Amino acid sequence: MKKGIQAKDLINIGLFTAIYFVVFFATGMLGYIPIMMLALPFLCPFVAGIPFMLFLTRVHTFGMVSIMGTILALLMVLTGHPWQLLPIGILMAVLGDLVLRAGNYKDWRSIRLGYIVFSEWLAGMMVPLFFMRDSYFAQIRAGYGDAYADALLSVTPPWVFYLTIVLIVFGALAGAYLGKATLKKHFKRAGIA
Amino acid sequence: MGFAAFSSNHQSLYRLDPRTKILLTVLVGIVMMGGSIHGPSAIPRALLALAPFGLLLAERKYRQGLLYLFVLLLSVGVESYLVTRTQGALNLILVIVSSLFTRFVPGLMMGYYLVSTTRISELIAALEKMHMPRQIVIPFAVMMRFFPTVIEENNAVREAMRMRGLHLSGGNVSAYLEYMLIPMMMCTVKIGEELSAAALTRGLGRPGARTSLCDIKLRGLDALLITISLLAFALWIVL
Repeated sequence: MKKGIQAKDLINIGLFTAIYFVVFFATGMLGYIPIMMLALPFLCPFVAGIPFMLFLTRVHTFGMVSIMGTILALLMVLTGHPWQLLPIGILMAVLGDLVLRAGNYKDWRSIRLGYIVFSEWLAGMMVPLFFMRDSYFAQIRAGYGDAYADALLSVTPPWVFYLTIVLIVFGALAGAYLGKATLKKHFKRAGIA
Repeated sequence: MGFAAFSSNHQSLYRLDPRTKILLTVLVGIVMMGGSIHGPSAIPRALLALAPFGLLLAERKYRQGLLYLFVLLLSVGVESYLVTRTQGALNLILVIVSSLFTRFVPGLMMGYYLVSTTRISELIAALEKMHMPRQIVIPFAVMMRFFPTVIEENNAVREAMRMRGLHLSGGNVSAYLEYMLIPMMMCTVKIGEELSAAALTRGLGRPGARTSLCDIKLRGLDALLITISLLAFALWIVL
């Protein structure tokens, strides 16, 4: 096997990132049903587990997963999503890549953990809500007084953010199993995994 | 709206450098996310919030521009007047919805403007001019190339199913995954392998700088917009 990232690998990264993103986006559309919105941090990494596991069968060297996360975050920022996604997305992709490399992109336990870490890039979407919360409450405190601001703070707790992270973990874990099962059932038989 | 809208044949009335659009998108996103709708920092925020409106109008996207202005004014109005005059659950909903809208919608609208008025080849040329490494630019270009293919294959699978009298009603998620997603992925991967071979024979793997036919230059209008938005950004930081 050739060392380093070849041009063919770069094409594969682009191809699988496109599939990953479309699947992710299509699942995210369910967020228009209000109840489903809360389930998105679980559902998106769950369904996207299929393309990601297929992508991993093409990965043989460090950097490919990092690049995938980078262009994913780049695309999100270019389409007007919070810029914090870029540093967080790259960080999570590199960390996930490191975990995956520890298992040489083949060991199931490091694949499982690596996909969970990678999927946390989605949490970058929530970070500005945190900053926003502070600035927003500072503004309310100045405008309408402490009592009002405290009442409002108590009903919008920060645990939503932590819940998102936990939901992503479970979604990615289930997605990894889903992807593995799909590979075994369909893609190996068709000869493309 | 969204990634599929990356235009391939859009003719702008005036040509903005994609780098200008990227800068504006990022600045609008940063500025709208923080700060207040009261006090002095509201002035640069209002200026930048109106940027997508002006740009969309200039592209003759009147419907989108006016809709954006309506949503923006409505949510700012709700945030500044109704929030203090309501109580209980209604107040909570108004606070969350209006504050989310005033902060996220301008950035997303800029993103929509960027995506719908920039050709992919222009964006790639701009990314190369920004000295992005080719390990980023090539996969990014391939990804852009593949969005239409993925959607096309998805439609093809749906057509094939309909032809055989198969219908997937909503709710059956596992059947959807198995019958739609997997054939779509198989087709796309096969196409990708062919594309990969074709691109390699055309010298994609070759080292060295690539040239582009796109004429990407910072012009007078770019300079003007960059100056105004950077000034507004600086003002926002200082205030």
